[in-house]
Amino acid sequence: MSMLRTIKPKNARVKRALEKREPQIVENEKTAIFVRGQTSSERVREVMKDLYALKRPHAINFSRKNDIHPFEDAASLEFFAGKNDASLFVTGLHSKKRPHDLVFTRIFDGRVLDMIELGVEAFTSMADIPSPKSSLGIRPLMVFHSDLFDTHPTFQQLKSHLLDFYNGHPITEMPLLGTIEHVVSITAGPMNDAQPDALPKVHFRVYTAKLLSSGSRVPKLQLTEMGPSIDFSVRRVQDADPELMKAALKRPKLAKSDVESGLGKKKKNIETDAMGDKVGRIHLGKQDLSKMQGRKMKGLKIHKERAAANGGDDGMAVDGDDE
Amino acid sequence: MDVTQELADYAAANSTAVLQRANPVITDPGLLAAFDNTPVDAEEYSSNLESHLLALTLTSTQALIASLFTLPTTSSSSGPITSLPAPITLLPREKPLPKPKPLTKWERFAKAKGISHKKKDRDVWDEERQEWVARWGKGGKNKDKEEQWLHEVKAGEEADQDPAKTARGERKARIAKNLKQQAANLAAASSKPIPISSLRDGPSSKLSKPSRSLGEESQETKKAGRDKRKAELERSMLISKTSTASLGRFDEKIQGEPKVKGVKRKFEPVAKTDYSGEKESALNVLKRIESGFGSDKKRSKKGGEGAEGGLNVRKAVRFQGKQDRAAGKSSSGAPGKKGKRK
Repeated sequence: MSMLRTIKPKNARVKRALEKREPQIVENEKTAIFVRGQTSSERVREVMKDLYALKRPHAINFSRKNDIHPFEDAASLEFFAGKNDASLFVTGLHSKKRPHDLVFTRIFDGRVLDMIELGVEAFTSMADIPSPKSSLGIRPLMVFHSDLFDTHPTFQQLKSHLLDFYNGHPITEMPLLGTIEHVVSITAGPMNDAQPDALPKVHFRVYTAKLLSSGSRVPKLQLTEMGPSIDFSVRRVQDADPELMKAALKRPKLAKSDVESGLGKKKKNIETDAMGDKVGRIHLGKQDLSKMQGRKMKGLKIHKERAAANGGDDGMAVDGDDE
Repeated sequence: MDVTQELADYAAANSTAVLQRANPVITDPGLLAAFDNTPVDAEEYSSNLESHLLALTLTSTQALIASLFTLPTTSSSSGPITSLPAPITLLPREKPLPKPKPLTKWERFAKAKGISHKKKDRDVWDEERQEWVARWGKGGKNKDKEEQWLHEVKAGEEADQDPAKTARGERKARIAKNLKQQAANLAAASSKPIPISSLRDGPSSKLSKPSRSLGEESQETKKAGRDKRKAELERSMLISKTSTASLGRFDEKIQGEPKVKGVKRKFEPVAKTDYSGEKESALNVLKRIESGFGSDKKRSKKGGEGAEGGLNVRKAVRFQGKQDRAAGKSSSGAPGKKGKRK
């Protein structure tokens, strides 16, 4: 950021534009920049083209080569991030040591948060698969398979990266009919017991989803491969600085009205059942059985005269103390 | 012609069959995501990868669809709209949470006194002109007095004064005062230690200060901040004053200029009632002579340490070089005094 000069707004339009770039409580969708390094392969360029097509319209494609090596020096990425108000990067590289290389970088507060490097092992482009494609700007469903995404730190980071890349921006409401078009499926292969050091491949597939009526509320699903289909191998990883990550994971305190409408935290004891009905649970206190009216009998009655006499005796005792 | 393989492929591609899962698929409807944490079947994975991936995707997506279609909906003109819950998976933000804007002096005062903000309209009704005019700016109502063609001269006022000019001067003074206040607010906001509320939000939240909201700081902290700022200002002023060739000797004096305070020498009184410390101080002098006061050892220490208490390397190297030269000449050993005394 330091490389960018601070702009003092000279008119209202510039001021509004700058205010939009300031930290917000509810953030805008993250923009991704696709940039290739000094040397890149045909395959990497094709992969980036397809990933860009899936990410549009929140993506910027850099058409020129840039001398970028994110793991060595990420200063230029930070510079691009500041210039374009973007926080996701895909850098395409190719070298003898690391052929067909893709580096996913995330930016927080103008600084690199974390990075993960993936190698493209196999690739079939979207254009090579003859099937209908999803519309522009439609949010995909994302599914992750394998226990590694839950247990292995590198794969956890990869999951976070990819989820952030396509579905990171939370939405509060959407019409379900007509807005589910495609599914991004990410699967990590099983761990090889013979080579515990070697990380398994990650399979990136995209399918178009067709919802069929099933007779119930939940439709049946049919999938057709849409492309791209990419097999990744996981290479270098740069973890996030814990302090920076902690700041990045801070959630804003929501307004009371938002919390009441159920946006903030989960409401206790109120659930929505499978039919979409609201079901509540009420906790009653323990019942006081000693005060319960049992059966009335003449012998158990408290006589008025006796009760009054007891009260009178007490009053006398108090008077005596005073003297 | 054998088409069994193609038929099988077609059936697989058009199937809606769902795999049996040991653990239920975890769904995160807020992010439209689902996580199947069952380990991938190694045998299926190696034998027919593509169909296994499709089956896995179908299973988890079906679970996600099921969770999405059971969410509460609201109807709209373009069909039902599903309201999604907040995401479960935590993803990093793009930028940090916005910091609270520092309050101005007036805002702090208003808050303390419970004065609520009343927004002034930009336009006011002009009775004479019978139209809405701007309160300030072009054709503003605040310029009425300076633009009127006739001025009333009250008794006791000087005859040669220009009422329009006076009114203009007053208006300009108000503007200048406001600008000064704005600048003071900005200065106070920038010099103030970062607000506690933002410290708690910030990455380095190691300070555990009492959670006091902005604007209700104690008088002591306010005064300490003011004093600190004042001391800084005086210091920089003294430095700038002595930065001329004459060390500020011929500079004009500024009103309320801080006095330069040097170190005062102290002398023991000649006639004392108590002489108990005298022996000790005399012995101290002897001890210093004995331990080699003024020798190389002592001098190396003098000014040899940096501001942070570390070794001043440049000075040490310079000193070592001097010593070596002196040893080479085989002269008196102790190098001469550096510089002149002022």
